[in-house]
Amino acid sequence: MQTERRDVLWLNGSETISITELAGVAGLSEADVRELVDSGVIMPMNPADLSWTFSADCAVTVRKASRLRHDLELDSHALALALALLEQIRALESELSQMRAQQAADSRA
Amino acid sequence: MKFKDYYSILGVERNAGEDDIKKAYRKLARKYHPDVSKDPKGEEKFKDIAEAYQTLKDADKRAAYDRLGSHRPGEDFQPSPDWGRDFSGQFRDGQTSFDDIDLSDLFAHFGGGGRSGRGHARANMPVPGEDFEVTTKISLEDAYRGTQVTLNLSVPEYDEHGRMRHAERTFQARIPKGATDGQRLRLRGQGGKGHHGGRDGDLYLNIRLHPHRLYRVDGHDLYLDLPLAPWEAALGATIEVPTLAGPVNLKVAPATHSGQRLRLSKRGLPRPGTGTEGDLFAIVQIVMPPELSERERALFKEMADGSTFRPRGHFPQEKVHAN
Repeated sequence: MQTERRDVLWLNGSETISITELAGVAGLSEADVRELVDSGVIMPMNPADLSWTFSADCAVTVRKASRLRHDLELDSHALALALALLEQIRALESELSQMRAQQAADSRA
Repeated sequence: MKFKDYYSILGVERNAGEDDIKKAYRKLARKYHPDVSKDPKGEEKFKDIAEAYQTLKDADKRAAYDRLGSHRPGEDFQPSPDWGRDFSGQFRDGQTSFDDIDLSDLFAHFGGGGRSGRGHARANMPVPGEDFEVTTKISLEDAYRGTQVTLNLSVPEYDEHGRMRHAERTFQARIPKGATDGQRLRLRGQGGKGHHGGRDGDLYLNIRLHPHRLYRVDGHDLYLDLPLAPWEAALGATIEVPTLAGPVNLKVAPATHSGQRLRLSKRGLPRPGTGTEGDLFAIVQIVMPPELSERERALFKEMADGSTFRPRGHFPQEKVHAN
């Protein structure tokens, strides 16, 4: 598959990544990745297909999931909750930085 | 070898039970884990906490650690000859020299319980290189053009006996154009070197941008304050605006007001993989001369007297105050 060999991969929504590669980047098994999908942490772009493809930014989430599970000894429910809350924080921070960028300097003082 | 006090790192007594050690670790891990902590020192602290826990949670490692005795943190020490005799059999090849080795590396090999297990591969087995994840700060100009960054990392390496130790290494990484703040990137094969045919590790970059003197960044869009004199805003003007690709002329329409966003299409950061660019927004700010000359004052006065403009016409009622 052409997606399996890339020297530079932008981990954002503009690129895609196969389930095999996604498991590989996080040091997880494909079964672990399927469990993350089941608990709603990540979503494949083609859920109806047999072989799933993900947006490349899922690699960031899955690596984080792998670290949190190992380092904080979380079970899959706690992990899903922690990741959902972290995602909320990320979205709020991104909104905040967007508002700061759009605001003129004199009104930010 | 430098001593680290694993008990004080976890904030427990030397005679703490397994449960207390686990509790202390979990509490500290929640506080300092780099994925959840906002503490800039979180990553460093968590490394120490995880290292302490890896050793103390394992009864055999803990016993061996306890037998090293108590030293001041950071103090250079050597395990006693007894220790070497009793425990060196726990290491592959019977390690007997403890110079130039990190305490964590010592216990990573101990008793077959290394975290990654990589250190226990037979000397000729393929050993994949380590993946590294690094946050690096670059300038907006470098993000626009692409750049090369130099990274100094402490990386695990294997000596001729297959023993792991940490060493400072310098890496060069090429960041293609189009990164933005918070962007993550994987550079394949640019992590630790694999051994005996194992694949090279990957380098994960978390890119942050230094604040810029002129532009504020939102994704691939840029925002720039555009100060205008009152007469430029009133009459319209052509203004030379700096962009990352060089200055461009921007036409400001007559009767432009403060806060208005003027879009310079495709003058933002390139979006990798899409062939498109973000936009540059110039935000109008009407500014006054810090001090009015006699002439300027007279001209403004003339305008005040001659204008019928009511900027606050929507307020309920306004008394006219004489100046």
